[in-house]
Amino acid sequence: MIIPGWVEILLRTTVAFLILLAAPKIFRRTSIAHFSYFEASAMIIIAVILAVGSFHIGIPVGYSITALITWVLIVGIVNYISLKSVSFRNFIHGKGIPVIKDGKVLEDNLKKERYTTDDLLKQLRARNVFKVADVEFAVLESSGDINVLLKKENQPLTPKDMLIPVAPVKEPQTIVMDGKVMDEALATVGLNRGWLEGELEKQGIAIENVFIGQVDSYGELTVDLFDDKIKVPEPKEKPLLLASIKKTQADLEIFALQTENERAKDLFKNSSREIEEVLKMVQKYLH
Amino acid sequence: MTVGSQVKQCLASLKSIEANLNSLSLKTENEEARHAFHESCLKTRKVLQQMEARVGELEYEEPQYKGF
Repeated sequence: MIIPGWVEILLRTTVAFLILLAAPKIFRRTSIAHFSYFEASAMIIIAVILAVGSFHIGIPVGYSITALITWVLIVGIVNYISLKSVSFRNFIHGKGIPVIKDGKVLEDNLKKERYTTDDLLKQLRARNVFKVADVEFAVLESSGDINVLLKKENQPLTPKDMLIPVAPVKEPQTIVMDGKVMDEALATVGLNRGWLEGELEKQGIAIENVFIGQVDSYGELTVDLFDDKIKVPEPKEKPLLLASIKKTQADLEIFALQTENERAKDLFKNSSREIEEVLKMVQKYLH
Repeated sequence: MTVGSQVKQCLASLKSIEANLNSLSLKTENEEARHAFHESCLKTRKVLQQMEARVGELEYEEPQYKGF
């Protein structure tokens, strides 16, 4: 039986497409932009084999499949060995090469990698660095990107730099999507529909009107509504609590100053001190 | 406003703080934050009890301002 050429191409193309679907499984999980030279080449080779095999009737199917299997095996073995061995990994995927160290450009390394000054400046600008003098250390990765460590004084300020204590946060849970309540997400944070209805009632919102509703690890609910004209009240519970702790502490201090009764004075003074301690303990969680 | 009513107002604030801290300590998932809320809630409760006693004394001294 002789199959007409177009039917064969149709069949071959379908098979090639099915193989293509399975292809992402054999490569490392990185974006294509971060593929090393070897991976990029292997990917192109496999793609070409699939493409040519799908329409070049002159090549027997067995040949394309043999080539394909061989290449897939090679990629698989190389990936496996590079998982196990550092030196092999560096050999195949290349290694980051420092191009700026201690704030000085290493011209020799640039030359060795055939990387021009313009490329370097361009990559630095892509990292939002317009002045080479701001850089402490930069690495030329095997993918051709440059990653930059800025000098400490040019790095963004963090709470740690300012010695400001901050409250730890966990990921928020999305508990309402498109007006539908996600019971599973609610359950993972230990809440239920009754709580949600209560919170929404407090904010004066109907559940049908909620497009997205999220709850953070402190049990605070924030919502986005379908109707964008309605203004959602900002959650005020925690700032209010902080303010009222501060006020109470101040009041107690005033009482301590005002009263002439020695025993009462001591009592107020102690209480004021206790509340001050409370304030110190919870302050960072209430911002 | 008399001293008695000021102290009572302060007492009310303390009650609200205690309740809020308690609810936060139940709602919060983070262990460290939960602990801080719980501890501070207990501290506030102690102060609250002392202040309640003081309000009792004030009411005894100035019986005309008893109650709200």
